[in-house]
Amino acid sequence: MSSKKLLMTFPVTATSHQLADYRARGGYATLEKVLRTMQPADVTKEVAASGVQGRGGAAFPAGRKWGVINLADGQPHYLCANADEGEPGTFKDRWILENAPHLLVESMLIAAYALEVRHAFVYIRGEFDLPYRRLAGAIEEARAAGYLGAPLFGGAFSCELVAHRGAGSYVCGEASGLLTSLEGKRGYPRNRPPRLTVKGLYRRPTVVNNVETLANLVNILRDGAAAFKSHGTPKNPGTRLISISGHIAKPGVYEIEIGYPWRTFLEEDCGGMMNDANLKCVIPGGISTKVLTASEIASLTLDSESVESAGSSMGSGGMIAIAEGTCMVRLLQVMLRFYHHESCGQCTPCREGMGWLHRIIDRIVDGQGRKEDLDQMLRISRMNDGTTICGMGDAAGYATVGILAKYRDEFDYWIEHKRSRYDGNLECRPST
Amino acid sequence: MTDNRSVLPIPSEELAALRARYPAGFESSLVMPCLRRIQELRGHVDDGDIGALATYLGVPRVQVEEVLSFYTQYRREAGGRWQVAVCRNVSCSMRGAERLIDACERKLGVAVGETTPDGRVTLSTVECLGSCGTAPVMMVNEQYVENVSVESLDALLEELR
Amino acid sequence: MPTIYVDGREIQADKGDTVLQAALAAGCDLPYFCYHPALSIAGSCRVCVVQVEGRSWVEIACNMPVTEGLRVLTDSDLVREHRAAMLELTLLNHPVDCGICDKAGECTLQDYHYEYHGKASVSLEPKVRATKQFPLSSRIVLDNERCILCSRCVRFTREISKSNGLGIQERGDQSLVRASEDGAFEHDPYSDNVVDLCPVGALLPRAFVHRSRVWYLKATPSVCPGCARGCTVQIWHRKPEWAFKALDPAKNTRIERVTPLANPGVNGPWICNKGRDLANIFERARALQPMLRGQPATLDGAVFAAHVLIASAKRPLALVSSWGSNEELAAFAATLGTGMPSFVKADWLPMPGEVVEDEILIRADKNPNTAGALARFPAWDGQFGDADVVVVWGEGVAASRIPDSAAVVRFGSYADADAASAHVFIPISVQTERAGHYTNFEGTVSAFERCFDTRANVADAEALFPLLAESTKATA
Repeated sequence: MSSKKLLMTFPVTATSHQLADYRARGGYATLEKVLRTMQPADVTKEVAASGVQGRGGAAFPAGRKWGVINLADGQPHYLCANADEGEPGTFKDRWILENAPHLLVESMLIAAYALEVRHAFVYIRGEFDLPYRRLAGAIEEARAAGYLGAPLFGGAFSCELVAHRGAGSYVCGEASGLLTSLEGKRGYPRNRPPRLTVKGLYRRPTVVNNVETLANLVNILRDGAAAFKSHGTPKNPGTRLISISGHIAKPGVYEIEIGYPWRTFLEEDCGGMMNDANLKCVIPGGISTKVLTASEIASLTLDSESVESAGSSMGSGGMIAIAEGTCMVRLLQVMLRFYHHESCGQCTPCREGMGWLHRIIDRIVDGQGRKEDLDQMLRISRMNDGTTICGMGDAAGYATVGILAKYRDEFDYWIEHKRSRYDGNLECRPST
Repeated sequence: MTDNRSVLPIPSEELAALRARYPAGFESSLVMPCLRRIQELRGHVDDGDIGALATYLGVPRVQVEEVLSFYTQYRREAGGRWQVAVCRNVSCSMRGAERLIDACERKLGVAVGETTPDGRVTLSTVECLGSCGTAPVMMVNEQYVENVSVESLDALLEELR
Repeated sequence: MPTIYVDGREIQADKGDTVLQAALAAGCDLPYFCYHPALSIAGSCRVCVVQVEGRSWVEIACNMPVTEGLRVLTDSDLVREHRAAMLELTLLNHPVDCGICDKAGECTLQDYHYEYHGKASVSLEPKVRATKQFPLSSRIVLDNERCILCSRCVRFTREISKSNGLGIQERGDQSLVRASEDGAFEHDPYSDNVVDLCPVGALLPRAFVHRSRVWYLKATPSVCPGCARGCTVQIWHRKPEWAFKALDPAKNTRIERVTPLANPGVNGPWICNKGRDLANIFERARALQPMLRGQPATLDGAVFAAHVLIASAKRPLALVSSWGSNEELAAFAATLGTGMPSFVKADWLPMPGEVVEDEILIRADKNPNTAGALARFPAWDGQFGDADVVVVWGEGVAASRIPDSAAVVRFGSYADADAASAHVFIPISVQTERAGHYTNFEGTVSAFERCFDTRANVADAEALFPLLAESTKATA
């Protein structure tokens, strides 16, 4: 059992998301301490010292991102929490929005203070209705309590917070697509340069951080960077929220100390496989990360170094456990259908490549596959590797390359025999 | 030919309050919140709403049109009273979503994308809803319905009158 | 002035340039679709990829700022591989319509396919289907299958014409360029520029669809007479060596289409739609017959009659054409103009429904050489006074306006009732049958060249005016 908790530190009850409960847990005391005793630049220093990395998927150190903001440039800065959570397999930011919305509000106020932001946003995917209502409720409570829209703790700093809803687009989870959507347009990601921290929302310096990344700020500023670094590993300090789903017995959101052994997590914390099935493979952090087999993960720990040494990534923390007897061809088909559906269509390789990949795998599943199809899929993946405006092209490539690397034999089988080795099954069969 | 003279269904006090939440100059950002609100009030976004919204916000009309067709949650046609959207992504498929979708089509007598003749239900499939831990999941209008099974489907659909 | 190195070659760039701009300015051959010097950077086609020396990946050049000492490769193995991949993907769902597509011969996609050794498609999948011959407006037809979604047309309507008439609907490979539903594109006076911008045969002018293969046509530089901006244009017409023999010979003297001639000092890369429709001006029914009070006459006979009338006039009045070229105006000034009070008229006034003036190109003065004419003669106040002979050169003065007491000598190009009622009518050539210069409202002088030969019995005004002023012997 991973004992270290920084976020899931309280029992979820009918009222634990509300202001009174949050204050009883020490809520908003850290904000007060920061505003009364620290300068904005000191806050950024502390965040940088903590080494906290982005928990949206890209793992970029938050302090380094913040450091680009020029506090003295005299122009508006914006802060945006990325609550789009669209990476399939991921549902951990939802936990924070529903159960600890004030933690996000307080964290964002701390970040806004550090970044000279006076107007902050939470971009929340349109489908998240309950999370939105919880967050909107928290914002209203915070406003009524004087935390939002009014000068705080006797100083000049005040900040507004807006919960802004999306309307159904995976690519709006990409930071620049998110901001373009927040500007009221099609969620088209943008080329860099310029970086968003130079020209972001309405061409102003903007920091976009994942909800979970931000939610760690209260801890970091309350207990200090050193305390934060005492959890996790030297390169990945802190804890992570893992959303686990698929054929696991106890799917849900778990908080683990980074570096926790993978097998222990699956077998003890998550109750092992459902139906007593055997584990076939695991998708570590959202479908855009490369799949790892059961034997590969046996020796790995849940931190970037370990997972990357096996050629994959912790990504968004959206873990999917897959039982033996699952057809990986059909699994990839579901993924490629998703990427095809979600491509924004701006850039040539993704727009054409996603459709091409999807059509090839549909044809294989239809029994019309050809031997050259698999190399063609790898080739298309390579054409999307580093050539696209945003990471979506690469993501589909990782999914494809990852599954083909480990389970090419299933594809060969389908092409040769015009059917699945596993009856096209995606559900969990008991072990035989 | 459509014109820009229709009236928005959103009460003007509500529009003003929405506007006030955003910084000055952020009118363009109001496109999506307004479209959502129009759809909540009307059930869909009408042709007349497009020009009216563009005029009210001072954005090009084409921007509103583009946004409407880019995001999956907007509807320009009236649909059923109940929008039933079943997730078809990875974790839900691994927990029986495909059988669930088939069952919905059978029980409702419509294919995905269609509305029942009595106007009750529009059935659709959607991508990951961010609720993989309680798969299979569907959205019924704004609400998530989690841990759905073929067995529990009958009772669920019964309630959608 | 940063120095960069492209394939080892030293290039002086301007501060603020992108690598693509600097490379193109230095004559390097880099392919691109979505980039356009007059539009914002889209960076979406991904065809302009280059490799920074030392890096193991490619990046687009159109969005790469130049920095001092930057070294890029445009022809490494990696660049070739990715460029070929981007072109292959651009062609993946592109219909091979070349055999029936008007863009053939001037299609960037065709050109790059050949230049960069494109191969036949290896895809086994049916191509994505979409609307073909979609009416984007009454003037422009769109083939969405051919469209490569470079977004130049959309950006043009946002940034240049500001009509916001075009947008992209749906997403992914289902994306479709569409006109906004309020018809803004239909009313965009600059809409046809998107046809020039389109790198493929997706956007085509209806007037030109299936009209001619471009390699049979030559483009003659000219100046649009539609207003005092004097945009330089290219008038496309059948190459003499490809003249039709068997069909109607008039096809050899047709304006097939008009495109802009890029001119940084006047119109940049654009023209308005009126300039596209020059055939509507020059191909009106022509006056080809000299006449004396409506009766056919020989050219010599008409010239003599006109000369007599003018020489014997006690109070002559000349109304000079603001469509006259500087050369014609000079000839008039040196000859007829010395003998009679001459004033500049506005041959054309704005027509109902026409844009009068805007902040882009269109000027309220609908005549190409008012400035050239006013440099020599004063403006006409619209009065005839007690003139006994009125010489009308060009359009804009209906016979009914002229007092009955005045004899009219009229030089014009178009067949109408005014020609028939003049005492003397001499048909003169139109702009496309001559070479010359116009001066625009800012004083910029632009040249137009001859497209077609002058017809028989039709005079060139520049030669006509000295003839009329000479005291020649009559040859009746």
